[in-house]
Amino acid sequence: MITADDVGGVHVKYLYHCPRQLWLYARGFRPEHLNDAVQLGTAVHELSYSRFSPVDLGAATLDHLDNQLWVHEIKHSAKRREADHAQARHYCHQLVRIGVDVQGAVLHYRNPRKTERFPYTDDEHQKATEDIDRVLDIVAHAESPPRLGRTSCRGCSYLDYCWSQ
Amino acid sequence: MPATSRTYWLTTPCRLRRQDDSIRVERDGHPPTFLPIEDVRDIIAAAEVDLNTSMMSLLNKHRIQIHILGYYGDYAGSFLPAETAVSGTVALNQMRLASDDEHALPIARALIDNAAFNIRWVIDRKLLTRSYGVLKESIAEATTREQLMAAEGNFRRSAWEVLDTRLPDWLQLDGRSRRPPRNAGNAVISYINGILYARILSALRLTPLHTGIAFLHATMQRHRHSLALDLAEVFKPLFAERILIRLANRRQLKPQHFDINTNQAMLSESGRKLIVQTVRDDLAETVKHRTLGRNVSYDELIYLDALALTRTCLEGSTYTPFRVWW
Ligand code: SF4
Repeated sequence: MITADDVGGVHVKYLYHCPRQLWLYARGFRPEHLNDAVQLGTAVHELSYSRFSPVDLGAATLDHLDNQLWVHEIKHSAKRREADHAQARHYCHQLVRIGVDVQGAVLHYRNPRKTERFPYTDDEHQKATEDIDRVLDIVAHAESPPRLGRTSCRGCSYLDYCWSQ
Repeated sequence: MPATSRTYWLTTPCRLRRQDDSIRVERDGHPPTFLPIEDVRDIIAAAEVDLNTSMMSLLNKHRIQIHILGYYGDYAGSFLPAETAVSGTVALNQMRLASDDEHALPIARALIDNAAFNIRWVIDRKLLTRSYGVLKESIAEATTREQLMAAEGNFRRSAWEVLDTRLPDWLQLDGRSRRPPRNAGNAVISYINGILYARILSALRLTPLHTGIAFLHATMQRHRHSLALDLAEVFKPLFAERILIRLANRRQLKPQHFDINTNQAMLSESGRKLIVQTVRDDLAETVKHRTLGRNVSYDELIYLDALALTRTCLEGSTYTPFRVWW
């Protein structure tokens, strides 16, 4: 289905949020464009940090890589999530793989404007590698993973799909 | 479907032109109007519409579909953007399920059962009890799609006979006739079904389902979007028959809404406007959804049904087609 090289930031983010979401996404079913919250996310990108230049890594796009080789990621939600950190860590891993000597990741939270820094250590590298294995493992299952508890699904673009019956 | 964008209905002949990122709508005797492209989800053209290539590329770029209804309100065709929500896995599984009777027949049976349930709910629960029982038996015994369709045909015929008893003489169906509709009642049913078909196609195109692969209707024979016909079965009664009964009861439909000749009938311009307006209002009507726990519009019910079928193709869950629950 997908190989380690195809694992992108979204896969990792979904791995942390909901394995079922990851499983569905990996099968090419992506209702994101239907979801108002997701649309808002895209709009925020276009409007608020336009001085950043996105970097296209094939399977992933990251928001910005600065001259000191820090990866910058913009988050429109105020909530700090493990998924965001994991996603940024994954970008660092991808850059290292293609020979970029990346320093680490900076997460920018828009509301309120705050940043968090995660230097890319050996430990981080180890975790990023494990995440990729976990993604591949979940995606390879023939059966879909069960739904999360209903309250954890809030804001998920698969909500109508998962819960309409 | 996204709440920010809407379906636009064209009920008078017009020309659509691109002007930057807006659609310029030109009608004879009116100043042009502009629709910002982000506001448009899809367009249903119930009157003659003139489009050019640059308009089409704008629609394509923004993934906007336009559905065109013909002279009698029957579905004439669509402009469908190239890019859709494709998923190889879904299409492959859909093909697998549809081509294997062991999987396809239960889905086809459920479609017919729930369609009949809905018809009965709309027309008359009591008078159709016996016919519904007969239908249930025949679909349980049926081993081919053709037998299922035949059983449904019988049920619908009885249902329309009962429906006629609830309509004034001049609106009675007296059997179903399509192209052209023979009488006023048939003209209304055809027109509403045409609109509904377009809505269903729009909803299906938001999912990764392949519209040409069907479970009840023959796949892609004569008809490019047979899956839309499948889903239409369960939704037609909620709109077509129900609206016909309601407009008749309230005496809102009048002979001047039709152009009637010896052997055919069609809606007049004012008739078309009345029907389009009524269907639009009905699509926007909401009910409390049982498992989503929020209000959903009838329009959204169509999309949710398409999602349920996607789930069946992707995860093998049992598909329960739409059945009136309120
Ligand atoms: S709706 Fe809930 S169960 Fe479904 S993918 Fe989203 S988070 Fe997971």
